[in-house]
Amino acid sequence: MPELSYREAVRDALSQAMRKDEDVFIMGEDIAEMGGSMGVTQGMLDEFGPDRVRNTPISEIAIVGTGIGAAMQGMRPVVEVMYEDFLTVSMEQIVNQAAKHRYMSGGQLKVPLTVRTQGGAGWSPGAQHAQQVEAWFVHVPGLKVVFASTPTDARGLLWSAIYDDNPVIFFEHRTLYGLKEEMSDELEPIPLGQARVHRQGEDVTVVATGRLVHEALAAAEEAEKEGVSVEVIDPRTLQPLDEDAIVGSVKKTNRCVVAHEAVTRMGFGAEIAAVVQHQAFDWLDAPVERVGAKFAPLPFAPVMEEYVVPHAKDVLAAIQRTVQRDG
Amino acid sequence: MADEVKLPRLGQGMESGTIVKWLKSEGDQVEKGEPLYELDTDKVTQEVEAEVAGVLLKITVPQGEADVGTTIAVIGEQDEDVNVEDGNVEDGNGEDGNVEDGNVEDGNVEDASVETALEVSDDEQEEGSPGPAREAERERGREASASEQITEIRTPAQGNGAGARVKASPLARRIARDRGIELGSLRGTGPEGRVVAEDVERAAAGGPTPAPGAAPAPPGDIERIPLTSVRRTIARRLTEAWQAPAFQIAMSADMTRAQALHDRLAERVKEGEAKPTVTDILTKACAAALMRHRAVNAHWAEDAIELHPNANVGIAVAIDAGLVVPVIHQAERKTIAELAAARADIVTRAREGKLRQEDLDGGTFTISNLGMFGVEQFVAVLNPPQAAILAVGAIERKAVPTDGGGFEARPLMTMTLTCDHRTLDGATAADFLRTVKAFLEEPGLML
Repeated sequence: MPELSYREAVRDALSQAMRKDEDVFIMGEDIAEMGGSMGVTQGMLDEFGPDRVRNTPISEIAIVGTGIGAAMQGMRPVVEVMYEDFLTVSMEQIVNQAAKHRYMSGGQLKVPLTVRTQGGAGWSPGAQHAQQVEAWFVHVPGLKVVFASTPTDARGLLWSAIYDDNPVIFFEHRTLYGLKEEMSDELEPIPLGQARVHRQGEDVTVVATGRLVHEALAAAEEAEKEGVSVEVIDPRTLQPLDEDAIVGSVKKTNRCVVAHEAVTRMGFGAEIAAVVQHQAFDWLDAPVERVGAKFAPLPFAPVMEEYVVPHAKDVLAAIQRTVQRDG
Repeated sequence: MADEVKLPRLGQGMESGTIVKWLKSEGDQVEKGEPLYELDTDKVTQEVEAEVAGVLLKITVPQGEADVGTTIAVIGEQDEDVNVEDGNVEDGNGEDGNVEDGNVEDGNVEDASVETALEVSDDEQEEGSPGPAREAERERGREASASEQITEIRTPAQGNGAGARVKASPLARRIARDRGIELGSLRGTGPEGRVVAEDVERAAAGGPTPAPGAAPAPPGDIERIPLTSVRRTIARRLTEAWQAPAFQIAMSADMTRAQALHDRLAERVKEGEAKPTVTDILTKACAAALMRHRAVNAHWAEDAIELHPNANVGIAVAIDAGLVVPVIHQAERKTIAELAAARADIVTRAREGKLRQEDLDGGTFTISNLGMFGVEQFVAVLNPPQAAILAVGAIERKAVPTDGGGFEARPLMTMTLTCDHRTLDGATAADFLRTVKAFLEEPGLML
């Protein structure tokens, strides 16, 4: 079994799809010779040539718009928006075009477009280059949203995203690219809408995404030492959401923490909290706790960046609040 | 199309009821108006009639507690398909009509009502410009949306039985409900004293509550009587009442003439008529006095005081299950003979457990009489939201000073009026009680 990094896993999914299928191609800023700003597409130009590994001008609206056109014509493009912060520039294409055509054409058109993008704090790239904006897209009917947290998930989910007939926004977290995991040679697609239970537990369910999955797992280790058994679930696909897995877990543990790197307020975790309180109301023994970034733009200063975004200790504190006793 | 039989709301404040038994079985033919099942609310047990005719296709709640609005049975035509799960209130999750999981399958929205709202020919209007031309269709869309939302409204579950809200987690509430444990009796160990599941589990296991200094009870001495819904209601309402700022005033009335009136009326009773009692005369006196002192014929409505146009006088009746207060409505319009008939009817039905919800609703004033037990005087607890309740003792012969300097034995009855000070002040209450006393001492004044 080969050990692939998260970066290699993404590349492997793209390459395997392109080998299998002439309709798949990739497009984005500096993805050809340079191999992408994070090196994800390194070597792909050599294998697939400039027609299928296309550099673009610095215009996200054009990148996504071209992708939509190609997708509607029957291709399965995977476009890369270098940092998710720059999705703002392509918002019109994603929200008003990609998400709507299938519906508005009564199914005559399909937009099987995958938009790969990445971001996240940890390297101090500042307020305009490290945001986590997945919540903007889960709010748009017609889009699917994936956030992979492990190499295996990245490979299997990206494959499913490419072969989904709807536009998928595929989030990667830049601090995870070096993360390695053993996986089979054979690419195993992971269906969209299926959560992954990383760790079984009895007392608290932590629903975490992206980098926070790993922070949550570290927090769970700590909590275990204090006798608190923590279940960690990664929805992996934020839209559609595997509500059954989350609700089922909370019904078992009776407590829930949601954790993501994005700003807490109005974040994706708020939706999880709403789903849980509604579907597991009578099973809750404590308020749902939320963990996320403070409501502030991300600072450049590393110490301040660390202060703003959540870490394992924040997840641990939230876990402790759910099992806290006064008397 | 089959009709769902839903648990009815039989009175204000009713959130749930307990189905005692079904009077019909699945497969039986049911006529409209025919008694269908027996329902125990926190006030009464009563037979509920079928609202439609048909075949009782399915009983979804054979027995036990259900929230108001729960589908408890289905009536329809023979062999009709029934699509109701046992005892479930609709989840109201609103899945129908959603574009599924953000994924538009071939552009179709599944819900037909939304579909019709969108099926508008394009020639009516410029593409994409919202405007009045499609108002009719928009209205249908709004209606469809509204009708979906209605299924989401769920009646709140019954409170925890205590007057004040107990802080408890939803899980703790569910476990307590399932096991019949009163949350109010538990000490919460969660943040801010919240009762959490563990506290209920401990109580259910009979384990020690962490209350300090609680002496262990000797084994085998205690008989635990599970609370009936009537008992629970009494406890809840009286605890509530106890929190009102109440005061009492008392007066004794000379009952010589009232007794004489009673004796004359009793002589004239015809065969089959209810024999009037002193209580009936008292009811008449109170009703007449309430009409002259409307401030007493009042409800405390938290943000207002409600003065009622009729004297709906509740009579506290002791029954095996506890205490009920059936109401004689519009007592001020009834003759003493009519009051006697009404009183005899409700007391009989109260003792037989056959009161209906309407017998218990709408009281504006309450009389509690323990005279027949020889109680000389006592203090009643308010019957909220009513402003006052009259506690009546036994008629006893007592020595009363006469004008000539001697004493005379007179039949005296002590009445104690408990008043809600939020609604009533002392002088108003005293005025009212003085009128009652005057009416009893000279019944002719009531006319």
